[in-house]
Amino acid sequence: MKNTKGSACPMERGEEEILLRYCAGTLAAEGAGPLDEHVESCPRCRPWVREQRAVWQALESWKVEPVTAEFDAALLARIAREEEARPLWRRWWDRAKGAWGAALDWRVAVPAGAMALLLVVGLTMENPFRQEAGETMVKLEAREIEQAERALEDLEMLRQLEPPEEEQKL
Amino acid sequence: MMAVATSEHDAELMLRVREGDAQSFALLLAKHRGPVIHFLYRMIQNRAVAEELAQEVFLRVYRSRAGYEPTAKFTTWLFRIASHVALNYIRDGKHERNQESLDGESAEGIARQVASRAPTVEQEMVREVQLAEVRRTVELLPAKQRAAVLMHKYQEMDYAQIAAALECSESAVKSLLFRAYETLRAKLAHMAGRG
Repeated sequence: MKNTKGSACPMERGEEEILLRYCAGTLAAEGAGPLDEHVESCPRCRPWVREQRAVWQALESWKVEPVTAEFDAALLARIAREEEARPLWRRWWDRAKGAWGAALDWRVAVPAGAMALLLVVGLTMENPFRQEAGETMVKLEAREIEQAERALEDLEMLRQLEPPEEEQKL
Repeated sequence: MMAVATSEHDAELMLRVREGDAQSFALLLAKHRGPVIHFLYRMIQNRAVAEELAQEVFLRVYRSRAGYEPTAKFTTWLFRIASHVALNYIRDGKHERNQESLDGESAEGIARQVASRAPTVEQEMVREVQLAEVRRTVELLPAKQRAAVLMHKYQEMDYAQIAAALECSESAVKSLLFRAYETLRAKLAHMAGRG
């Protein structure tokens, strides 16, 4: 098999797009210079380039008339009609979305809205667990006071049962 | 450098349209309506339909302003919409029904008249015949090849931009252009040195 990688011929290297850019005049000067010489002498590239240039010239001859004067007016009227037909909320939404950019994209806005709603509900609702815990604390505090009072009463009773100090000394 | 600055400017204008600035939309329209209509005209070859489709393209641009993000070059995005609109129109088969005759005369008909006219008129007739041939040859290309050639030749878009507009790979664009130009060379190369 013939090695074509080092060849100077774009056709042999299978790089017709270089010739295409050469014919279109979009190849950089440093690439176009050496190619000029090659194309002149290459029996494959020379007819290819001639034909491609003929195509290019033929396409260039196809001019199109300028746009009609009514085009803009007709388009702007269509836009205005479409705007008027849209519901007010939709118009407001698009305007807000335009101003806020991606933040108002529904994929972002819906989860963000749901999170905000949950947060509000969470903060405003009374927490049943929290209330119960409060009640338990109150009950515990009352029991502790009762126990302390009882302990003091018992201590007083024991003190009354003890004999006076003089009798103990004897 | 200039092209980059222009495309950045287009993106800026579109971002302003997103914020509700109608003046920026008018500027974008003034700048791009010509290339879009010309592209559509060469795709469909009917003036009225091309303008109608171009209106659809700019309407789509306007409708999608709220979600616009400048991730691609504005012209690439615009021509993606234009290609979609044109290819859908051709796919739906409306193309054949609405195609304009070549100014009401066949190329053969014009050629027959050439001999009986004065030289300047003759030159004009030859030009008309050639133009009719170019139009017919382009029209016979498969729609995607046609779109690729038109963007490459008239919009001077590179392979990457054409690939983005046609939503295919760059190697697919190379192949489309290679096959399209091969056909065009086979049918139009004889025009070399004429006219």
